[in-house]
Amino acid sequence: MEFTFEFLSSLFTASLSQWYVIVPAIVIGLIIGAIPGLGPANSLIILLPFTLVLNVETAMAFMVALYCSARMGAGIPAILVNIPGTAGAAATPFDGYPMSQKGLAQRALTLSFVASALGGLIASIFSIFALPLLSRVGYYFHSVEMVVVMLFGLTLIAVVSTGNTLKGLIAGVFGLLVGAIGPDHIYSAPRATFGFLELYDGVPVVAALIGVFAISEALLMTEVKSIVTDVGKVHMATQTRWAETIIGVRMAFKRWWHIVWTSFIGLGVGVVPGAGAPIAAFVAYQQSRLFSKTPEKYGTGHPEGILAPESANNGVTSGSLIPLLTLGVPGGSTAAIMLIVIQYHGITLGPRIFLDRPEFPYGVLMAMVVTYLFMVGTILPLARYMSRVTLVPTQFLAPAIISFTLVGAFAPRMYMFDMGLALVFGVIGYIARKTGYQVSAILIGVILGPYIEQYFMRALRIAEGNPMVLFSSRIGNILWVFLVLSLVAPPLIGWYKKRKADHASL
Amino acid sequence: MSSKDPLFTRRTFLKGTAASIALGSVSTFPFDNLFAADFPERTIDIVVPTGAGGGADRNLRAFISVWKKYLQTEFEPGFFKGAGGQVGYETYLGKREPDCYNLLYGNMGPETIMYVLQKPNYKFPGDYVYFNRCDVDPSVIWVRKDSPFQTIEELVEEGKKRTITLSCSRLPHPASIGSLSLADATGAKFNLIPYGGGNPTVVACLTGEVDASALPMANPISTKGQARVLGVFAPSNPIPDRTDNAPAVNDVFGTNIPDLPSARAFALHTEAIEKYPERYELLKSTMRKVFDDPDYKVAIEKTGRPWEFISYADEAECMEYAANMMELAKKYEPLLTA
Repeated sequence: MEFTFEFLSSLFTASLSQWYVIVPAIVIGLIIGAIPGLGPANSLIILLPFTLVLNVETAMAFMVALYCSARMGAGIPAILVNIPGTAGAAATPFDGYPMSQKGLAQRALTLSFVASALGGLIASIFSIFALPLLSRVGYYFHSVEMVVVMLFGLTLIAVVSTGNTLKGLIAGVFGLLVGAIGPDHIYSAPRATFGFLELYDGVPVVAALIGVFAISEALLMTEVKSIVTDVGKVHMATQTRWAETIIGVRMAFKRWWHIVWTSFIGLGVGVVPGAGAPIAAFVAYQQSRLFSKTPEKYGTGHPEGILAPESANNGVTSGSLIPLLTLGVPGGSTAAIMLIVIQYHGITLGPRIFLDRPEFPYGVLMAMVVTYLFMVGTILPLARYMSRVTLVPTQFLAPAIISFTLVGAFAPRMYMFDMGLALVFGVIGYIARKTGYQVSAILIGVILGPYIEQYFMRALRIAEGNPMVLFSSRIGNILWVFLVLSLVAPPLIGWYKKRKADHASL
Repeated sequence: MSSKDPLFTRRTFLKGTAASIALGSVSTFPFDNLFAADFPERTIDIVVPTGAGGGADRNLRAFISVWKKYLQTEFEPGFFKGAGGQVGYETYLGKREPDCYNLLYGNMGPETIMYVLQKPNYKFPGDYVYFNRCDVDPSVIWVRKDSPFQTIEELVEEGKKRTITLSCSRLPHPASIGSLSLADATGAKFNLIPYGGGNPTVVACLTGEVDASALPMANPISTKGQARVLGVFAPSNPIPDRTDNAPAVNDVFGTNIPDLPSARAFALHTEAIEKYPERYELLKSTMRKVFDDPDYKVAIEKTGRPWEFISYADEAECMEYAANMMELAKKYEPLLTA
């Protein structure tokens, strides 16, 4: 295969010609992404009969477009009503929702859309040029390295607990305990399920997400008339129609480097089979805050707090397809469903495809590039209209959220139990919020807990129980150093700055 | 009719009463049993005790794409993964009507082992019957192509010097039992690392996190040239040309390790078989036709699975296989549980 300009140009033209499936897939993806419970994987299963009758290139363009746009769509309710559409957008409300409360929903959505599209675009273009290189990442990131990566995400518990660290840690540990429900990772035996069959595979993240974020938020909403503050309403009323969108685009482009490097975090995490968007989003948010000159602004409606997780969770999309395209082994559930369609059409993935049919793997990534280009034009104008949701009186908004999200809790597994579970988590979330415990800390524990346990137990088993295995890899050790620095440096820098200011004032 | 005509005569009353009784009796008659020709009148639901998108999903879709020609109905697979298949089985047996409109498509080997080790809330044999085996996939030990181990003897020799790490889908699995039996028989040390599914298990071996892997043969074959099969836990290798002529483990070491295939099969509530024998017969006879249909071969080849693995077996053979697996699971229970 000759990797020439002509080759890339022909792939781009071919992908562009699939616009008639890409555009509808973007619309479907945005809708399913925005509805909690309807992720891309279960939507693609429902649409399997349709994708099987299309030719494989068209089917892949459709599935890739749906997958990417669902990632972007998940950020919409996270920003507007504090409800992430999927676990991958769980870090978006940290700063997205405070912006909405200030009447800046349109700007926040624009930041999210630009970060998602640019982050996804950068990661997919880079993947095209570095595909052979990226396919090697999985060879260096094993269980030990992933334990440390997870710990980066877990340190977010401390970050979101600023103000009351003890309560934050209690909430985080509670989340980790909830995440431990389900089968143990070595013997597959169910534990702590209280006899509920529905918990044998662990606590369903969607039900937990909906309960902790959506239901508890809806219950809180009933205590106020509007989720937007009075100042925010004045701001929304006085702004010209498109001004906020233009400001958002400018803000995002002004921070282009931030989008670039956080998209690479997403790409890197996505390439590792089994890791996914929630890990990428949490790690990117944590790193963004770490390197920020104004870390104290995070959690109050800071633009970087939206750009980082959204760019990262869209950077994951191309990364997660790399194990599928290069090894022929799906790295996640969405990729596994894509593999069904690919195999149905008689295409064999793996290293040989780069000799036999290189236009296929590169074509898939190019379809992603085209999707992100189309996505900007499709969704950016809608930010203005979507932001009006925040002005809906809470007497209508709260019941609508509860009913919609309960259906969302039911959808992935079709268990009535999950609706009840979401309500239980809703009450827990409500009590937590009223008593000053961070619900985000609970959710970080629930989402990352099973991952970290799985990698940790596996690493220990490989080393026959020797805990020193955690320091046995060069890459792992480098990551440990960064982790320690990321924990120690901010308080040290803060102490140094304070000391300097004290000296100056003397 | 004149106004003087009575509305009912004694004769018409008696006729009407007799007709009503007859109609009432007919309506309570078990038509379902009598007319199997009416079956199926609606979609048949299939519980799969693993996640969507894996090998079971692909094989099942290939099978039902042809089966619907003969049964003249649609099928709806539902995926209920968790706890080594326990969630799917308990969902099927506890929450699905025993009416032949609900089937289970499982992997007899690992899921029978799971039954022995996890002691779930159902009875086997008793509550359900495996009645139609679709394939037989022998367990193997394999390494990545650039591994230093070229043969099973080299791997075992090294295992006598240090512990060899082997990725496996889960501990309660025929391939895991095969590896433990081999270690037991040769004195090699194998450390099984479960990865919770075929795909991550393959990746762990290909990316070098572990020395080797123990899985059904279809998994290393699906990597298309990235894997080298070292040994097969079967009397002979069914596809030597696609597996580097890997020998049978027993032939190499003179051991007597039992045949350890994975075998996917359809299962049905025992109660449904007793209640609706005609429906059961219809299911069996139409399923049997699938194996002789050339379209099925095409559908299977599209999934990348070797046609040589496709092998029909009836209820008796399926249940015998399951009983053997239960024996093995009991034997190795201390090694497979915490």
